[in-house]
Amino acid sequence: LPSNGIPVSFAQVNIELTGQVLDDQQKPLPGATVSVVGTTQGTTTDENGKYRLSLPDDYVGRSLAFSYIGFTSQTVVIGQERTVNVTLKTDNSRSLNEVVVVGYGQQNKLSVTGAVDQIKAQSIEGKPVTNVLQALQGESPNLIIQQTNFTPGSGVNINIRGLGTLGDNTPLIVIDGIIGGDINLLNPNDIASVSVLKDAGSAAIYGSRSANGVLLITTKGGKLNQKATVTYNGSYGMQSPYVGLKKVSAWDNAYYKNLSLINSGLPPIYTPDDIQALRAQGNGDWERQSILQNAPQQLHNVSITGGGATSSYLISAGLQDQRSNFIGPSYGYKKYNLRLNQLSVIGKLRVNTILNYVKSQNKSHSNADWVIFADADRVPLNYSFQDAAGNYLTNPVASQYNVKSVLEQGGYYQSDNDQFFANLNAALSITNDLKLTGIFGGTLNANNAFFRRLQVNNYPTGVYGNDRTVYDNSFKNSLLNSQVFADYTKRIGDHSFKVLLGASDEYYRSNGFQLQKTLTDPALGTPTTGTILDPVNSYNSNTNTNETRISSVFGRVNYSFKDRYFLEGNFRQDGSSKFAAGRRWGFFPSIAGSWILSEESFMKAQNVVGSLKVRGSYGLVGNQNVNAYQYQTNYFNYANAYGFNNTVVGGAGFSLGNPDLTWEKSAMLNVGADASFLQNKLTVSLDYFNKVTSDILYSRQDIPLLFGAGFPDFNVAKVKNKGWEVSATYNLNTNATKQSFSVNLADNQNTLLALTYGSDQQIANVDAFGFIRKVGQPITQYWGYKTNGYFQNQADIDNSPKPDGVLVGPGDIKFTDFNGDGKIDDSDKIVLGNPFPRYTFGFTYRLAVKGFDLNLFIQGVGKRDVMLRGEEVEPFHYNYGATMYEHQTDFWTPDNPNARYPRLAAIGSPSNTNNWRNGSDVYRYNAAYARLKNVQLGYTLPGTLTQKVGVQRLRVSLIGQNLLTLSELNFIDPETSEFNNNLNLGAASNSARSYPLPVFYGFGLDLSF
Amino acid sequence: CGPLDIAPVNRFTELNFWTTSENVDNALNNIYSGMYTSTLYFYNEALSDNAYTAQGSAAGNPEAIASGSFTSTLPKFQNDWAFYYQGIKSCNIFLANIDQNKTLPAEVLSRMKGEVRFVRAWHHFNLMKWYGDVPLLDRDLTPDEAKVIPRSPRATVLKFITDELTAAETLLPTKDAYSAADNGRISKGAAIALHARVLLYEGNRMAEVVTLCEKLINDQATNGQYGLAANYSDLFSNATVNKTSNESILALQYVPGLRTWSEFFDFAPRSAGARTNSLAPTQELVNDYVTLNGKAITEAGSGYSESTPYANRDPRLTATVVYDQYVWRNADGSTQIIYIKPGSDPVRPALNEYTLNGQGSPTGYYWRKYYDPNSLANFTSGLNLHLIRYADVLLMYAEAKQSLGQLTADVWNKTIRPLRQRAGFTNTEALNFPASGDLTQTIRRERRAELALEGLRIDDIRRWKIAETVLNGYAHGAKFGDPTVDNGYIRAQRRQFDPAKNYLWPLPASELNLNKALTQNPGYQL
Repeated sequence: LPSNGIPVSFAQVNIELTGQVLDDQQKPLPGATVSVVGTTQGTTTDENGKYRLSLPDDYVGRSLAFSYIGFTSQTVVIGQERTVNVTLKTDNSRSLNEVVVVGYGQQNKLSVTGAVDQIKAQSIEGKPVTNVLQALQGESPNLIIQQTNFTPGSGVNINIRGLGTLGDNTPLIVIDGIIGGDINLLNPNDIASVSVLKDAGSAAIYGSRSANGVLLITTKGGKLNQKATVTYNGSYGMQSPYVGLKKVSAWDNAYYKNLSLINSGLPPIYTPDDIQALRAQGNGDWERQSILQNAPQQLHNVSITGGGATSSYLISAGLQDQRSNFIGPSYGYKKYNLRLNQLSVIGKLRVNTILNYVKSQNKSHSNADWVIFADADRVPLNYSFQDAAGNYLTNPVASQYNVKSVLEQGGYYQSDNDQFFANLNAALSITNDLKLTGIFGGTLNANNAFFRRLQVNNYPTGVYGNDRTVYDNSFKNSLLNSQVFADYTKRIGDHSFKVLLGASDEYYRSNGFQLQKTLTDPALGTPTTGTILDPVNSYNSNTNTNETRISSVFGRVNYSFKDRYFLEGNFRQDGSSKFAAGRRWGFFPSIAGSWILSEESFMKAQNVVGSLKVRGSYGLVGNQNVNAYQYQTNYFNYANAYGFNNTVVGGAGFSLGNPDLTWEKSAMLNVGADASFLQNKLTVSLDYFNKVTSDILYSRQDIPLLFGAGFPDFNVAKVKNKGWEVSATYNLNTNATKQSFSVNLADNQNTLLALTYGSDQQIANVDAFGFIRKVGQPITQYWGYKTNGYFQNQADIDNSPKPDGVLVGPGDIKFTDFNGDGKIDDSDKIVLGNPFPRYTFGFTYRLAVKGFDLNLFIQGVGKRDVMLRGEEVEPFHYNYGATMYEHQTDFWTPDNPNARYPRLAAIGSPSNTNNWRNGSDVYRYNAAYARLKNVQLGYTLPGTLTQKVGVQRLRVSLIGQNLLTLSELNFIDPETSEFNNNLNLGAASNSARSYPLPVFYGFGLDLSF
Repeated sequence: CGPLDIAPVNRFTELNFWTTSENVDNALNNIYSGMYTSTLYFYNEALSDNAYTAQGSAAGNPEAIASGSFTSTLPKFQNDWAFYYQGIKSCNIFLANIDQNKTLPAEVLSRMKGEVRFVRAWHHFNLMKWYGDVPLLDRDLTPDEAKVIPRSPRATVLKFITDELTAAETLLPTKDAYSAADNGRISKGAAIALHARVLLYEGNRMAEVVTLCEKLINDQATNGQYGLAANYSDLFSNATVNKTSNESILALQYVPGLRTWSEFFDFAPRSAGARTNSLAPTQELVNDYVTLNGKAITEAGSGYSESTPYANRDPRLTATVVYDQYVWRNADGSTQIIYIKPGSDPVRPALNEYTLNGQGSPTGYYWRKYYDPNSLANFTSGLNLHLIRYADVLLMYAEAKQSLGQLTADVWNKTIRPLRQRAGFTNTEALNFPASGDLTQTIRRERRAELALEGLRIDDIRRWKIAETVLNGYAHGAKFGDPTVDNGYIRAQRRQFDPAKNYLWPLPASELNLNKALTQNPGYQL
């Protein structure tokens, strides 16, 4: 082969062949293979689908083969024409021809060997959500999205394939190639695609942080040679809070209260006259319905895209405004996004610049939501929040304040966050085969919060906010990432190679400060006589600084043979500042392969299966989600430890270090298959995975408390997580209508294999019941007594085991004596359920008829237990509460022996102690559900009509969200979880008191010109 | 690429911490801070017949212990155990490292060791008191040692405590030798007084208790100048007296606005600004206050009348408990009447009235003692909480003398008489040495009345072995209940006490799982 000016045999005179490869829509096809049949000569097309080949002149007469994955290959005999253009036709027997974003690159879906799901913009657009993650729920099997509450701007829990570790299960987020972005702040409308990397084969290139999987988010950009287009998308609608709780009437409440007292041998407190008086007076308004209202939500986006021969651009601006459902001043969440994506092609250099600015504002009342709901729920309907004169009332049941006054006049918390994201990506095509890419990017966050509690005096007495606290909090962080990597692609006959090698450095720094004062001026919140600077809650940035760094090298090799057999190897080596020298570097390799069976001759004979691919991967991935500095023992000073002579003094505490701290490691196996049937109308994907995570970073549970100090994390625990995913899409198109049905279903099951060195279980008590972590079981489960019906009569009581020292009566809960020792004690406690979802599913139906389109999306969970507690579950809860709810009226009486709840009994009575203080499955509910998550009905006006006024596309739509829910649990939202992604066993189990699910009704408008 | 070695900027390492004197001071202050908590101080009262908490979950559910229905997994057993051992660890780390410091004067280092050894003995004393045999930690343990250390016999722990307190007594200066800035530090007097308390609780070492108390009563030049504050209530409510009275031998120190406690937010009458009531005095406590002539209300000639139950009573009742129609003095000097009897409050809704339904007191009584008129919002108070008072020394002395058969008029006049005088008794029948009557009961009642809400009643019940009497049956409230039940006194909580096992707490079940060398107390095995 002639090259580098080295003389070649003069017998070989070269001919120059050029041309362009187009697809069936006459668009250029970059990356297509052009080769001379029977030789090793060949090249690939550039981004404009063009190629250039220099061949010996005796090659005339040979055939030139044009191929591209997903297209039918073509051959052209080399004749006298020096320009050979071809148009490749889509190969309908190969449905898997889309491009999938993977780590540090893109792959044709056909060549993907790992478990990667790609969610397209189509599944995100039009959903009335302010957070991208909410739009992803149900779209990919085993991409599990949960929330602990639905307050505007609240965070979302996310995990891929369930829980594999005892710490943070959040997947790694990569936005436009930069690791560690904040997905919550993205404008859902700016997203082009989200790749979900589920297995080691696809994720290992992200090494030490990929054990929980990776979400790769690619934002939209412009296209070359495209005329400028302006697009507007917007929606507006009302959110209606879902409240399933219904208090019984004031007079029924009094009757039930009497019954609970009488059942406990106490005198009733309401006379029949009192109850008549309550009935005559009617119900008040002290309930959560009265402090919630409908609230608007609106989303607006404008984007301009276009491009010339050498540059393209996208400018996008968005506003998302979700108002709070609480009464009072209009609080809620607002987000402004501005994005610029610019591409310049300068010869062999492509420079892509992405700038994104986000301003988000969240304003809410000055207390915790769960406190507001608990107080609203604890007072019976005898009472109202306000009297006729508008005074905020207190009453004997409520605490000293009135939640309506807190919401309306008690002050606020306001956070103002500015985020700037910049990404400069320069790719140089050194040769047709070799490309060098440098990326420099980062995120700067500047967050400010202001809190002010205002004093509200209630009537006749009681006060809220007399501390009159004011604070300012400022928090800044920056994440800088530099990467350089080289891609080398080569095809030699049937052999195709791709090699990637790169290095990366990431540096994170955060610091913050706070200034807090109490007893400020009641009107202004400014310092005045008696104002105190709070030295504990005020701090400077040097006491609140956090720095971490990761340095890495990574690489990937792809090999394929005949576009039918694929092999891929990935590795990454990371060094992290979170670990001591010597424990710092981790190596994470993976290997994966796939085989397209449908290309084999033995498969060509049949016509049932259109395409069939099997794939498998195995690898090692890591997790390092621990706090920095834990490997060193250190001492810290703090203020206000003690006082001498009425003067305060500081103190010094210590944190033990663990010098051996290192990564968690997950060994992951994945096998899967992708197939299409019925002329590609039906496509199906299946995956099975098995993941064992060891060296899990966890606090040691084997050290008795008498050791006297807390522990840093140790690499102690081990968890196995296995499961499967199925997804299928069926397209049914006729000339007039297009329909598609997509369904996905998944399961995952984790098992704790080791907890800490010597200890195989950990139990954490949460008020009434507990959580257990036990080796051999799922990693977090509810724990307590198993109920065994009710004591129906005295003989039943006499013959049944009971908790020590408790005098029970008929209608009280009977517990199962598992060890058969004749009494109920801690040794009879068992696992009562699993708070994490199993059998998660999503179903999407799309229909297009003429100008109309319909999109239905159902999402749900097939199996989940939830244990709720508090006044929403226990009648007259713990004396804090004085209420009964309609669902609680199914209690035991001699005529209702199989009731849902035990007989009513006064707090402090042996019956109440037995029934409610012994945490049992009386608190357990079935939280399986199916929810009509999203409905869109759209109409696109005929183009012939709109184009007369210069409008390319005009679509109007009706949008609904969370419209219908099927669940056994209907007084509280079954989707809400008490856990965040950190799986903290101290979860307060307040999910019955969390901000309710909004039901949204609205309309949308899409316009482009 | 930058460096991967990143050190925190706001912390010291083991290598450079102890050499700086200010750090040593801070480490010692941290030990003081971990000596005790306001939650333990107040809510342990709910273990006794002085109080009832309906809402004790924040305090680890002491009401479950009082009810007799609990197992070794109850949070309080674990919380308290962990608290004391955390305190011990801080002490042991301090003692192991303090000699690294070369800048503090030798006498300061020696004094600091005395303070820390006192606190370490204090934590062991609390552990021994509740759990009996406990692991004795006279040095810092490694994690692996913590997994195998057995319980030491109670006698060994006791000897350790008393030896340490004897050593601390010699290492520590008197309170008078401390500079004013050190007011509140552990002194020689505190070591002697705690030593006396430890031995008093043994019951069979009263002669030594007498000797120790006499050191404090008769040898004040050597051991510190102590006396009684002029006004009982001021000790708990007056910002100056509470902090500076020479009655205080050891107090948990607070500073207004800066280091504070706010339990009273749930103790006061609700019309006085309380949020709710989570600790309520019992009728049994109220009943034990004598009448102004020194007689128990059950005694003939006491002058007690059930229709005016709060009149003519020990003035400490009014200084301690808020009862129906109590005249409450607000912080601004104005007064309000606290209506507790159902239906009696002219203001509706009635916040203080007794009702089974509400946030008010479940016994019909609220607390007055430790009310801080200078407290900030939500009763955030900087008043000190007394751990050992000179009044207690006088009571210990009287009790020890009585148990030795040596309670003479002279001893009475040095102990009970001044306490009653200070309380406001003027009737000579109450002040003079009684010629007859059960003096043991008299001293016990005196102790209960003087020390109510200071967390000592449950200790007294346990060491007197009267728990099966006073902690069985119902804890009652005021006479606002069903007249046909218990003569109309509210049944607040049903209680049970099994003397065969309940005199010791169970070790936390979780600890036994992790350290197989630990054994469980009798009756608590699962």
